[in-house]
Amino acid sequence: MITVSALTKRYGNRVAVDDMTFDVASGRVTGFVGPNGAGKSTTMRMMVGLTRPDSGDVRYHGVSYTRLLRPALVVGSVLDARSMHPGRTARNHLRAAAALSGIAAHRADEVLSEVGLDSAADQRAGGFSLGMRQRLALAGALLGKPEVLLLDEPSNGLDPDGIRWLRNSLSDFAARGGTVFVSSHLIGELEMFADDLIVVGGGRLLAAESVATTLARGDSTVVVNTPHAAELAELLDNRDITVSVAGNDLTVHGATTAQVSEIAFDHRIRVVEITETSRSLEEILLDMTGATAEFASA
Amino acid sequence: MTIATATPTLDAHLAIGRTHAQQPPTRSRQDDIASVPAAVRSEWIKFWSIRSNPAILGLAVVIGVLLSWILATFVKTDPDTHEVFTIAQTFIFSTWLSTVLAAITGALLFTSEVQHGTLATAVTAQPARWVTVSAKAAMAATFGLAMGAAGMIAGFSGAVLGGLEMGDTSGMVTTALSGLLLTTLAAVFGLGVGMIIRHSSAAVSTLLVWTFVIENLLRSIAPPTTSRFLPFSTANGLLGIQQAGDTPATMAAALTRVQDAFLFGGYTVAAVAIGTVLLYRRDTN
Repeated sequence: MITVSALTKRYGNRVAVDDMTFDVASGRVTGFVGPNGAGKSTTMRMMVGLTRPDSGDVRYHGVSYTRLLRPALVVGSVLDARSMHPGRTARNHLRAAAALSGIAAHRADEVLSEVGLDSAADQRAGGFSLGMRQRLALAGALLGKPEVLLLDEPSNGLDPDGIRWLRNSLSDFAARGGTVFVSSHLIGELEMFADDLIVVGGGRLLAAESVATTLARGDSTVVVNTPHAAELAELLDNRDITVSVAGNDLTVHGATTAQVSEIAFDHRIRVVEITETSRSLEEILLDMTGATAEFASA
Repeated sequence: MTIATATPTLDAHLAIGRTHAQQPPTRSRQDDIASVPAAVRSEWIKFWSIRSNPAILGLAVVIGVLLSWILATFVKTDPDTHEVFTIAQTFIFSTWLSTVLAAITGALLFTSEVQHGTLATAVTAQPARWVTVSAKAAMAATFGLAMGAAGMIAGFSGAVLGGLEMGDTSGMVTTALSGLLLTTLAAVFGLGVGMIIRHSSAAVSTLLVWTFVIENLLRSIAPPTTSRFLPFSTANGLLGIQQAGDTPATMAAALTRVQDAFLFGGYTVAAVAIGTVLLYRRDTN
């Protein structure tokens, strides 16, 4: 369990993170989403003691990160997959990290195998692709067999196979009771494996809820094709259901396919076609964060 | 290059090593102190796993041998005193270069971590930042000592190869120990400069420009009673080097070796102390 309490960070007059409070539950994958400049990276840096908050704190099972005895055994983090010396081999990169945290050197080879980089163990990181760097960075986060993983854009640079591998790995990690907190701009990808979402914009928390709750924010639309459009529209309108008519097509908001079908059946109205469309998580999140986006597309 | 992106099976995936929902252990000052050896081990692995560092050590050896051998073979006599060079004199000649290389390596020990983002990884793994500083200082000191020893042994070997006589050996041990102290302190001083400046090119440029340009200018302007306190004047004094342009007044104002050692040590401690304060105050890149 991660508890983020009233976290605030200012840079001059600009408030990068404004009174952010949320919990990240164990045994679940929590996505951290928001547009560029929303305060995600600053928040994550404060979560691992790299940036000092002006106020508020972050606790892991009640202990702040900087008070942890051996942080790598509790929290594995990847905030920048490029953080490695290009002249150092993958194995030595991990051996140095392991030594610093008092972790046995053989863990370096174990985690290299876990992330599928064992055959590249003696290659220098400077020759790695971004995807390989992501894997090596993740290997570094796994060295101490942590309970918590904090990952900033971990799928960046991974090929489709790598993305699927990452998704399965993180889901598996959470299923074993681990806490996964992952920021990503790939909302469609996140939708496939995240259980909860922390949505931020303009440095402020906009929502902390399950993915299902967020999806429910997306109003579904039922489109009905019927030769008795006016009659069905009147029936729906009488039940305070919003409906618009265009020829034989009705567009219905605030009712499910089952509800509309039942009304039509009860009144012996022939329906030629009925479809329900719902908005994607990406569309819903864009709506939620749109007003706070610092860098919006034209 | 072989690109390896094999997909492991799920049973090799992430394992969690402890019971959850328990409050993890917290660290104390004693824990921080106890973690210094681990930090030094990490620095040792990092240092020797970069090819440029052993290469710099090798360079000190090659230059040490060559310099003494050239002096013995081609120069043969001191141009000022016209005395024939001896092994006891020439073995120390390359130490000044070892000092400069040690200082540069010390600076890069920190700045390359900033440049490549690995400082953030280190600080994340070890929140007690002074532990990281101590480990780096120990590594820099070890390398500086190794540079000094390698340079002197190489200088000695080059002089022997060049056929020089041993000469008066009465001051050799003191000179050698002073040289080792200088290269050791210089590497740690460089580390401190790197911690303050945090940029590889800027830190190296600052060290070189200060040493070879600014301090020489200051020495030509300031009276000897003031210029003797400049950092690399004290370094020269520690090594017992008489510089071009030294006058009787300069030599009369010179500090003793012990005073020079304390002063250069003071500059070193100050640089690392300022760098440590800044490491605590600044956000880590």
